[in-house]
Amino acid sequence: MSLGPPVISLLGTSALLFEAPGETSLPTQQRIWALAREAGRWPEVRETAPGMNNLMLGFARPPARVDEIAARLQAAWAAVEPLPLRGRIVELPVTYGGGAGPHLTDVLAHTGLGVDDIVAIHTAPLYPIYALGSHPGYCYLGGMDPRIATPRRKVPVLCIPGGSVSIGGGQTGVSASPGPSGWNTIGRTDRCFFDLHCDPPALFRPGDSIRFRVERVIR
Amino acid sequence: MPLKHVGQIAAWLAGTDIALLELRGPGGSLTLRQHDGSITADLDENASCAAMPPAPSDIVTAASVGVFLHRHPLHEAPLVHIGERVRAGRTLGLLRIGALLLPVPAPRSGIVAGVLVAHDTMVGFGARLFELLPLQP
Amino acid sequence: MIEVLSDTALTTVQDLGRFGHLSWGVGSSGAMDPLALAAGNLLLGNDENAAAVEVQVFPFAVRFHAPCGFAVTGADCAARLDDQPLLPWWSGEAAAGQVLHLGVPANGIWRGSRAYLCLAGGVDVPCVLGSRSTQLRGAFGGHEGRALRQGDRLRAGLPGAGVRPTGFGLVPPALAMPLLSEGMVAIRVLPAAEYERFTPASRDAFWAAAWKITPQSDRYGYRLAGPRLDPVAPIELRSHGIVPGVIQVPPGGQPIVQMRDAQPSGGYPKIATVIDADLWRLGEAPIGSRLRFLESTWEDALAALDETARWLAKMRGLTTLQRGRAGRA
Repeated sequence: MSLGPPVISLLGTSALLFEAPGETSLPTQQRIWALAREAGRWPEVRETAPGMNNLMLGFARPPARVDEIAARLQAAWAAVEPLPLRGRIVELPVTYGGGAGPHLTDVLAHTGLGVDDIVAIHTAPLYPIYALGSHPGYCYLGGMDPRIATPRRKVPVLCIPGGSVSIGGGQTGVSASPGPSGWNTIGRTDRCFFDLHCDPPALFRPGDSIRFRVERVIR
Repeated sequence: MPLKHVGQIAAWLAGTDIALLELRGPGGSLTLRQHDGSITADLDENASCAAMPPAPSDIVTAASVGVFLHRHPLHEAPLVHIGERVRAGRTLGLLRIGALLLPVPAPRSGIVAGVLVAHDTMVGFGARLFELLPLQP
Repeated sequence: MIEVLSDTALTTVQDLGRFGHLSWGVGSSGAMDPLALAAGNLLLGNDENAAAVEVQVFPFAVRFHAPCGFAVTGADCAARLDDQPLLPWWSGEAAAGQVLHLGVPANGIWRGSRAYLCLAGGVDVPCVLGSRSTQLRGAFGGHEGRALRQGDRLRAGLPGAGVRPTGFGLVPPALAMPLLSEGMVAIRVLPAAEYERFTPASRDAFWAAAWKITPQSDRYGYRLAGPRLDPVAPIELRSHGIVPGVIQVPPGGQPIVQMRDAQPSGGYPKIATVIDADLWRLGEAPIGSRLRFLESTWEDALAALDETARWLAKMRGLTTLQRGRAGRA
């Protein structure tokens, strides 16, 4: 990822995508949270959806001029201070490998590491939640060790179970419900991530952190 | 035709691309014309349905102004064929007003003896559309 | 009250969509053909955003257990009420015990792939997170957060005989606002962030191809078959927000258009995005049919949105006028 200005692109007429330059980092994500808070107040913007060091603005009504709102976004980015959200630490018990982690062998093949190394490297960090997305309650996590990075699958899998712990490129995440995925599933947890009886219904949010704990390794 | 309705009908008309709307009742007739963004209304309380010669009982007429259609715009086959037996209420054709489609129903059971207007023709209120030979009950 | 008679798949309750919850990972869902859903509601005097039944697999049948006004829009599916044929894009009234039967959409002047069954007062299901659309992934919204099954019963907001005037219809938007390229459905798109990172030959192929909608296409996404699209160098992106209409190209080289139930974020390279105003055209394009992409501009895309807004306003005016006239008849 080369350093340069942020890249702003169109997602049809429904939304604008802002991508911060540089390596994915928590300080950059904290500025993304601040930018979301600022842009969320603009009249053209219906909602903001932070991603991994990026931000999507969903339009209430598409503005007549894109260059004007793009310039406003660049100016806001230059001005924002990081928003240091600090939340809870959540521990998730995980069963690695076997039927719970059908693509662990692909990660072994790509990285050249053994099962125990992969599990040790995956469970070591405290992963900050950067953003939610993908499906209700799903948390995008930062801080994965690049040694276990594995590219997304060539053909997405039609259905992986809820609670699946996966690696896609340089990121890791846990699915909150059954559904399709292009990531490599290495394990599973039983924890709940989304509850309509709660407000907000997502049980974890940006600023919280997740630690994976080894419950079991199936070889 | 209560006059208080005229303003409301004019407002609805303004939201369409209909150029002419003609309404008739026992008390008279109301004609609304839309042109270049403005609407004019002519209320004629002397004109009555009696001035128009009544159609023979085996003729089906248009209940409103519109474009007469033999077939639905999505279909290739006509709604009825000459010689076809139809029950009362059967949709024989359509009247298109802008994008609105209104049915032309058979007023009684009968046999379709003639289609009097070509498909996609603008017709006025009372235009003769079908010849329908009544069937004895 | 209607009862689902068909042992059907992929039929769901939808409205125009659930917005404002992308930051929890909740995508919009909503009708694949929002114009058809809105028009069916307008025929009945409902709020345009009232919930309806979206039918994707035919034949499909329901029994009315009480008198009720209804409308069927979208694909022309040779609808009939008991043995009485119904015209497409038309409203009617069912008596208790009558069966509404929707057949397989046939090739004709226009062939859609999804039909919308609207009920007087809307389909009465709870509003969850601001919408009655079914959120299949999260298993909430619509009817119990899932596709309809045989035996399911749905209530209408305004049941009863003669509640609303019926028995008239609308000319479908496919005829009012046609968009074809060499006889194929044409879909306008705006290039996306990674467009320039595809090879020139791939970009040319994207515009030139007659893309085939494969059977692996549904509310989550349309998998298209055609020439292989290759980036100049492999592209690995960070996860970012996406919306319905985004055309992703996974490493396999075949594009996938994200549709209403797509994940609201992803990381595959994006070559272009379908403009909002043309999503309904794509939503009605049948499996096995071919389509062509046309490059649009921001201004033209906004003009297209204005065109559909004007069309809806006309439908609003015409149906209100007709219900008013019919009410005095």
